[in-house]
Amino acid sequence: MREYALKSTITYKLYRQFQIQFVEFVSTIGDIIFNGKEVIKFIFHREIDIKSTIEQCARFGVSSLPITLSIVGMSSIIVAMQVAGEMVKQGAGSYVGMLVSVLIVREEGIIMSGFAIISMIGSSLASEIATMRITEQIDAIQVLNVNPIRYLFVPRVLSGILMMPPVLVVACLFGIIGGGVAAHLSSGLAYRAFFESVWSGLVLKDINVAILKAIAFGFTIALISCSCGYNATGGSRGVGIATTKAVVWSFVAIVILDLVFSIVFFF
Amino acid sequence: MGIKVKNLIKKFDNNIVINDISFEVEQGEILAIVGFSGSGKSTVLKLISGLIEKDSGVIETSGDIAMVFQYSALIDSLNVSDNISFALRERKELRKKYTSSQIDKLVKEKLELVGLTGTEKKFPSELSGGMQKRVSFARAIITNPEIILYDEPTAGLDPMSSTLIEDYIVRLKDQTNAASIVVTHQMSTVKRTADRVMMLYGGKAVFVGTPEELMRQETPYTKQFVTASLEGPMKMLKG
Repeated sequence: MREYALKSTITYKLYRQFQIQFVEFVSTIGDIIFNGKEVIKFIFHREIDIKSTIEQCARFGVSSLPITLSIVGMSSIIVAMQVAGEMVKQGAGSYVGMLVSVLIVREEGIIMSGFAIISMIGSSLASEIATMRITEQIDAIQVLNVNPIRYLFVPRVLSGILMMPPVLVVACLFGIIGGGVAAHLSSGLAYRAFFESVWSGLVLKDINVAILKAIAFGFTIALISCSCGYNATGGSRGVGIATTKAVVWSFVAIVILDLVFSIVFFF
Repeated sequence: MGIKVKNLIKKFDNNIVINDISFEVEQGEILAIVGFSGSGKSTVLKLISGLIEKDSGVIETSGDIAMVFQYSALIDSLNVSDNISFALRERKELRKKYTSSQIDKLVKEKLELVGLTGTEKKFPSELSGGMQKRVSFARAIITNPEIILYDEPTAGLDPMSSTLIEDYIVRLKDQTNAASIVVTHQMSTVKRTADRVMMLYGGKAVFVGTPEELMRQETPYTKQFVTASLEGPMKMLKG
């Protein structure tokens, strides 16, 4: 009776909820690490389905490009419009290009591309694999003695690693050009003044770090999305939960990765 | 050898789903597993196929295992031909064994066997439930398995499609000499396909015998199951 009363208290229920969430958190991290290890093993053993990888590359790179360019382009335009007016007034118009390009290449381009890829590709990877899980397609793959990690994860993760850098490069270029146009239209800054200052702020290290970040983000987004889908349970509700989980975990992971990169390379 | 199961136990959390069952299925034999929903029938198949881990007991199998799933479980991004040849194209040891033209020939043969010639390029969403099931049969037998597991193969099908599927189960057994287990609710499937029947209740085998012995209703369990009565030793979960 006393035990029942204890279990009915709000504190106990909160404690239990916390306990469940904590166990789920730890097991999700464990699953992601395990699956990541398997994926790397298959890639190093060259057990790669080229045809499927090319299909996934087209999905990752080409289909995500419009949304990525829109998001990076618009956010660059906003930044350029905000800073160009003030800087031109202060006589520092020749630094606008530098400021916008450094911001885009170091941070905005990659983080906005990451968010766009998560929304567009990560969610679709998670829901696709979760649907395969709940409709027993993954069970069928296992019974046919084919490793689901090799068949499902490797092409998708590899496409993330291969396609995220070119997507980032195109998005950054688009963002810088968009920034130049916005600065010109909003504050009358000459195109030449803007684009000449772009290279004065950027160094090779910025570009190298951005490419490294893109590879890490591509790997992380694809791996987390596949893992969340792979471990889906239940019916259609399970697909929804897996997709939401993939998006949230990927967002958090790339922000943490971004912080780590900033600490390691710029401090 | 076929399939040999001894003292098999499986728990989910603290709930015992399979409680110390033992049975054998010889090559060329079909065992039907029957029982009410939640009695552990599909769990037995998942344990034999290795989809879930047993808690204790012994499962011995003689070779390659194939499984036909309740809702076919065809890979919806692949066409019929790629679904059937999936194992041949994706398994390292089989990939080396067959050329692309040999695989195409095998796919044609298997499609002919299940009466679906000409559907190679169709996708699962373009096929009816019965046709999907037949494609999953073709996929199951392309590796010449020694064991075939069927999880409610006639569920959701019309009576004629069910009869067709039951005929295929028997035909595949005759052609491959595989040891087969058919999990089913339907008495027609038991009568038309099974050599022996095992009835599960509460994770235990409460009856093992021939389909004729089942139909004779000599035990309270068989009587209740065959007459689909709510009165008897087996209690249904209340909704």
